[in-house]
Amino acid sequence: MTKRTLHRGLAVFWWLTLAFLYLPLAVVVLFSFNSANSSARFADFSLRWYHRLMGNEEILSAFGNSLMLAVVSSLIALVVGGVLGYGMYRHRRRRLGWLILVIYLPLVLPDIVFGIAEMAFFVQINEWTGWLSPGLGTMIIAHVTFQIPFVALIVYSRFVGLDPALFEAARDLYATPRQRLVHFMLPTLKPALMAAFFLSFTLSVDDFVISFFTAGPESATLPIYIWGAIRKGVSPEINAIAALMIAAVAIAAMLSLVFSRRRSP
Amino acid sequence: MSETMTADIADRPGSDPAAENSARSETRRQASSIEMQGLHKRFGHDTVALDGVDLTIRAGEFFTLLGPSGCGKTTLLRILAGLEAPDAGALAVGGRDITEVPPHRRSVNTVFQSYALFPHLSVRDNLAFGLKMRGLPAAERNARVDEIAGFIQLGDLVERRVDQLSGGQRQRIALARALVCEPDVLLLDEPLSALDAGLRGQLQVELLRVQQRLGMTFVFVTHDQDEAMVMSDRIAVLNGGSIQQVGAPREVYERPVNGFVARFMGHDNLFAIRARDGRRLTTALGTLDAEDPGDGALLLIRPETLDLLPGAVEGPNHLPATVAERLYRGSHAEFRLAVGDTTLQAMVSNRGRHLPEVGETVTVTVAPEDLVTLSE
Repeated sequence: MTKRTLHRGLAVFWWLTLAFLYLPLAVVVLFSFNSANSSARFADFSLRWYHRLMGNEEILSAFGNSLMLAVVSSLIALVVGGVLGYGMYRHRRRRLGWLILVIYLPLVLPDIVFGIAEMAFFVQINEWTGWLSPGLGTMIIAHVTFQIPFVALIVYSRFVGLDPALFEAARDLYATPRQRLVHFMLPTLKPALMAAFFLSFTLSVDDFVISFFTAGPESATLPIYIWGAIRKGVSPEINAIAALMIAAVAIAAMLSLVFSRRRSP
Repeated sequence: MSETMTADIADRPGSDPAAENSARSETRRQASSIEMQGLHKRFGHDTVALDGVDLTIRAGEFFTLLGPSGCGKTTLLRILAGLEAPDAGALAVGGRDITEVPPHRRSVNTVFQSYALFPHLSVRDNLAFGLKMRGLPAAERNARVDEIAGFIQLGDLVERRVDQLSGGQRQRIALARALVCEPDVLLLDEPLSALDAGLRGQLQVELLRVQQRLGMTFVFVTHDQDEAMVMSDRIAVLNGGSIQQVGAPREVYERPVNGFVARFMGHDNLFAIRARDGRRLTTALGTLDAEDPGDGALLLIRPETLDLLPGAVEGPNHLPATVAERLYRGSHAEFRLAVGDTTLQAMVSNRGRHLPEVGETVTVTVAPEDLVTLSE
């Protein structure tokens, strides 16, 4: 009897958790289709707020910034993190686990600390050299920084899952270092690289705090725009943006999962 | 090549259409000899993998590196492939020094123990990989792949995906992938060890057939002495990073140079010589006359050279014994005999004669020419 009660209790707990996670999201998505200008009463289904979004220059520019930031930072992180993951694999006997720890450490810090530190650093460099004035450039650098460890780990674990003799077979079958990259490593890594890209993309779109501190006047991303807009009062337009972001992140996360599960094409 | 014990079981060229292909290939290919001088290899500070290996492998030979795990046979093979660099020593293939040549510029190919087929490529693309890396045009690659597929009789395997293949099929694809490159030397790293006994025997025969048709130099690594004896023209037995003995299978089996080689080749009947008077050797078994005993400290008696006579019989090289154990194996029977306070293994073929029972008193006899001594 007590076991049954326990199971029921756990089930209730589970449904409560899901409700707290997903109900607010569902409400946001629902009200993004509300025809009335209210966040309390749902009148009719309408795409009014989505149309309004399309006409808002500021939002479109923020959307463009978010997309540009996510794509460019993910691509850079893919190259740098990929090389790091390969290096960790090549020298796996030397116990380089601490390397990943060192890279991870700033991520465990509160984002706000990391964001402020990055900002101070960029401002300092900017004062000395005139480079790195706050804007998309500094944001890309900051995003790449927190994307790298994820990419490196995904690439590393793909390599570890491979038969080490494959690397030797490629050398044995006359592949030059360049040919090994093009004809063996990249095709073998393709699913892992796709997964890493979409994960990095999601992380970048998700980020608000670090972006906020490293952004310049012209480089507001969607989360930064929302933050600014909300201080003036919640508009149903925000619901529409939020719904679109939920969709984008869900799709990217799903693609990341699909590719990470696929072993070879 | 004439020494090989196994020439009879391999197909002879001539009757088979594939023989034409092999004749064509032979004009492109030349078997190469291998010379190793003073090869040393050490891993970390205290692990000596190779401790000065000098070895010459003849052109067109099926040569086996035999030894227990950790004896250095795999390290030696990897040095031949270029996957490992020796700390000291020189390596030449076909008279050309290749000690410093990286693996992708060596005309040496390897069949890996795990087969190492590329999972992202089809079987055909796996087979063509080496040719593609060398820049052969697609049409020629395809022709060569079809040729090797006919030669190894791969049939429709060529159009499959790698994950659709069984272990035996993978093994043959891995062999074909290395052979299609027509290397001077083919290296095989325990290629049959992952297969079950039946398939293994079948592929042993196939490997021999391929090697004899192509006349290519094969260097084969195994820890299985039976496999080494079946396959090889010559065997090198390794232990602790150095070569113990090099010779034809019969030589290594019948005249092992030391206790290690003898034990590794499966011999149990080794007895310390306590006293020696000319050709009369005294061991724990008693005193035996040998024809040409050599001056080793151990006496080797091969179980198959022993004869068992019923009852107690007096005579030269006759030893009284009691049957402690009998394993009946159909074609032959194995005996564990108590002789004095030691035991002796005997193997008797089953010619329909009386096979002594456990507890029976027998007399063991051995011919003086079958007694060999060796060093510890």
